[in-house]
Amino acid sequence: MEDKLEKEIFELICYMLISARNLDQETKMYGPFRLVDAASKLIEILEKNEIYDEFLSQARTIIEANKYKVMTDKEEFLSFLDDLALKMVAKLKEDG
Amino acid sequence: MRVFEVIKGRRSIRKFEKRLIEKKILQKLVEAGVWAPTGGNGQTWVFMIVTDSDRIRKIKAVSPGVLGIPSALIVICQDRELAYKKGGELGRDILSIMDVAMAGQNIMLQAYDEKIGSCPVLSFYKKGVQTLLNIPDWIVPELLISLGYPAEFPKPPKRKFGEVCFFEEYKSANGR
Repeated sequence: MEDKLEKEIFELICYMLISARNLDQETKMYGPFRLVDAASKLIEILEKNEIYDEFLSQARTIIEANKYKVMTDKEEFLSFLDDLALKMVAKLKEDG
Repeated sequence: MRVFEVIKGRRSIRKFEKRLIEKKILQKLVEAGVWAPTGGNGQTWVFMIVTDSDRIRKIKAVSPGVLGIPSALIVICQDRELAYKKGGELGRDILSIMDVAMAGQNIMLQAYDEKIGSCPVLSFYKKGVQTLLNIPDWIVPELLISLGYPAEFPKPPKRKFGEVCFFEEYKSANGR
């Protein structure tokens, strides 16, 4: 697999599928964490490959600043996800 | 550093600098691991040190718990056949796991003393790691430790010493 983008996407898919396999035996909150982390990884891959979107880039910054709250404060982690989900919905509505 | 200072100072690190760790330091970390106690003096673990960045990327792809980009990984495995031969079912199923945990803690404390950050990881696909590192079936990866010079210094989560430590007799504080 020579192409860089192809390689990065392949590794992300590995990450997602293996998360799916392992999550049934893991801490419940790791499910939301893996999903939000996968979203961040996908945005990062797009950016690296010059598919840049200001809104998604900001979303990634928010994810990176907050994702580890899952380890220390479940309520704060869920609150960050709520805020992010609302931002996504507002953007969805705005874009028609 | 004093031992208690090391124990209290160690944090799980998930962001690392792009800086390699010298081979002799990595060997010292594993040496710290093999000086941990083992059930019945079994010493049935196997330690794999991984520093090749391509290999680390591939292991990361099958290890959702490895966060950030570590400079090295130590994979602590158990020779389950040998553990069974030495300690029967108890040795293979319980003592061997406790041995991994004790060796892992030694490694992480020694790493902290060397100014290296570490994070223990159990969220990984064992068969995937076995395949990527050419590990035979009877030697099972049980714990990954990601290592690198820290790019973060997280605050410690609170400890509940008063609620979990009792002298002589258990006294429930909350009816449990």
